[in-house]
Amino acid sequence: MTFPRTLIAALVAAGVAGSGSAAFAQEAKVALLGGITGPIAGMAPAMLASMKLALDQVNQAGGTSFGKIIYQEFDDGCNPQVATDAMTKAVNVFGAAATVGPACSGALLAAVNSVSIPAGVLVVSSSATSPKITELADKDLVFRTVPSDDFQGRALARTLLARGVKQVAVAYVNNDYGKGLAEAFKAEFEASGGMITQFRGHEDKKASYRSDLAELAKGGADTLVIFDYGNASGLTILRQAIENGFFKQYVGADGMRDENLIKTLGEANLKDFLVSAPVGEEGVAFQQFSEMARKAGVDPNATFAATSYDAAFLIALAMEAAKGDKSKLPQALRAVATAPGEPILPGEWEKAKKLLAEGKEIDYKGAAGDHEFDKAGDVPGSYALFKVEGGTYKEVAKMK
Amino acid sequence: MDTVGLLNYAIFMGVLIGIYALLTLGLNVQWGYAGLFNAGVAGFFAVGAYLSALLTAPPAPDRIMGWQLPTAVGWLGAMVAAAAIAWPIGKVTLRFRSDYLAIATIGIAEVIRLVLRTEDTLSGGVRGITQVPRPFGDLPYEWSQLIYLALTWALVLLVFWGLERQLTAPWGRMMRAIRENETAAAAMGKHVAARRLEAFVLGSAIMGLAGAVYVHFMRAITPEAIDPMMVTFLVWIMLILGGSGNNRGALLGTLLIWVIWSASELLTDRLPAEVATQAKYVRVFVIGLLLQLVLRWRPEGILPEPAGR
Repeated sequence: MTFPRTLIAALVAAGVAGSGSAAFAQEAKVALLGGITGPIAGMAPAMLASMKLALDQVNQAGGTSFGKIIYQEFDDGCNPQVATDAMTKAVNVFGAAATVGPACSGALLAAVNSVSIPAGVLVVSSSATSPKITELADKDLVFRTVPSDDFQGRALARTLLARGVKQVAVAYVNNDYGKGLAEAFKAEFEASGGMITQFRGHEDKKASYRSDLAELAKGGADTLVIFDYGNASGLTILRQAIENGFFKQYVGADGMRDENLIKTLGEANLKDFLVSAPVGEEGVAFQQFSEMARKAGVDPNATFAATSYDAAFLIALAMEAAKGDKSKLPQALRAVATAPGEPILPGEWEKAKKLLAEGKEIDYKGAAGDHEFDKAGDVPGSYALFKVEGGTYKEVAKMK
Repeated sequence: MDTVGLLNYAIFMGVLIGIYALLTLGLNVQWGYAGLFNAGVAGFFAVGAYLSALLTAPPAPDRIMGWQLPTAVGWLGAMVAAAAIAWPIGKVTLRFRSDYLAIATIGIAEVIRLVLRTEDTLSGGVRGITQVPRPFGDLPYEWSQLIYLALTWALVLLVFWGLERQLTAPWGRMMRAIRENETAAAAMGKHVAARRLEAFVLGSAIMGLAGAVYVHFMRAITPEAIDPMMVTFLVWIMLILGGSGNNRGALLGTLLIWVIWSASELLTDRLPAEVATQAKYVRVFVIGLLLQLVLRWRPEGILPEPAGR
């Protein structure tokens, strides 16, 4: 096996040059990795639009102190092979200093392990929810603005028990998202004295879930908890359950909070439907994001739209705070996202830039939560329970 | 876009092309030599990948194994496991003729995929296995990539050399005789069923090796990685385009398809932002179109099987 000598020489040079040039010479490049093709293609447009909205706002407000942010989209296909390929291009050809995404957990695990962590590139995912990402040996380079499934599942269990729901059946889509939520929910619900009559996973993209529902209904519970996506099999399962009256009350997690679901099933049929979803601790942040998003033609309630916006905006803030030094990005991200500091709401780029220039601390309060990153780069997330009212989702109660 | 970045990208592509080259070579043994239509490449790839991960990764509380053995053991184990799975499957299904065999192997690959998805204690379920070690993975990024490229291509060339020898040996001639005219070969006293099984097991073992090389490169495996579109069908396209029955053709097809698949995104990104996102679907389309064109105008592939060796 022989290599051209020039290649080896160039690589030696690369190693030498790479160790010396940590700054990203007056260029702030961000790669946006989304599942444009593949199984979550339906969610990708809103996610990417939110990311672009954030970065466009930054650029319109003057960009960073060392230039405008240049961004480019890449397709991670929600698949490990495609995502590593995209990440390699993003890091090496495009020259990204940070990326939003990959979108799916499996794709993210492969891409960060084999490309971005060794290359020292900051990754903030807005939709990869697997608890496995917490365990990554990531040199503090992998963050996410979406909470691990563990938090939400447990919060939902406590909330339901507090509302007097003691018996439920659980249906989850058999992927890392559904299963992670369902297991966390089950652990907390049973430990706190609730009873789970049926606990079943289902594959997505099936035409009928009536046999699954018949099984789920067998335990005699009145409430069905669905961990699935409201624009995919979650919609089918909910529709068929309502049509056939299998249960009296339905509860979903953030994946089920889909505006189209209300249009498709009709508000009248969703009186007994509750969903949990992450919210900012100050409701103002989400409001502000909603207005900006609506103006830009993006549905703010689309799945992962808010987290995607926050991920991109946080990266921009971190770049500003790190003053263009790539190696300081993770520290800077922690500094701008967590307390203490002057609160910054979505879109308040000029204010943040001014404060940073004055050497003051800032604390970004995002559309999808406060983003107080823990040691592993995870966010605890704050949640609220929503019901359907007036064609949209209305907050009923905060979840603890 | 600087030279160093482009080189890093080229090295990455080199490794993935090497992994796919192993898959195409494995499929070439089955389809090119023996005429066995295996549409379950992903299944053997998965067996190899998961077993190598289980042998070399650190243990996890909710999953079996995690023995932290050296990578070489993982690679060997992957080949043995893929062969061990292929043997009984071949024993049962090789009596089917081509299209029935294809249906059977698709089914088996799906069974393997669903088992790996749902059996948490075996495979980590939908969350997969992480922290799989990579040989020399602690070196700086460029060096670690370069060494892995060398390792991958050393394996590819070793397999290539071995298969070339096998093809020109009496065994290879016999395989082609069986493929061309089974009845005549049987009449000459060749044990058709046993020879076919050999080719099936050998090809599957090479696919298992490809899975193992893949998992140590990515350092993680989740069920999405064994998507039939990305493994089985892409590999078939590579082989058909390059020329089945010719190992050089298999390598060429792999190179062409992967470069088109990966590098076309760089081209579509040059388009205006409004269409760039939609244009990402173009590469899926281009691959399909290419296959249609090749099948129409050059069904034997770019480098066809040499006549009489």
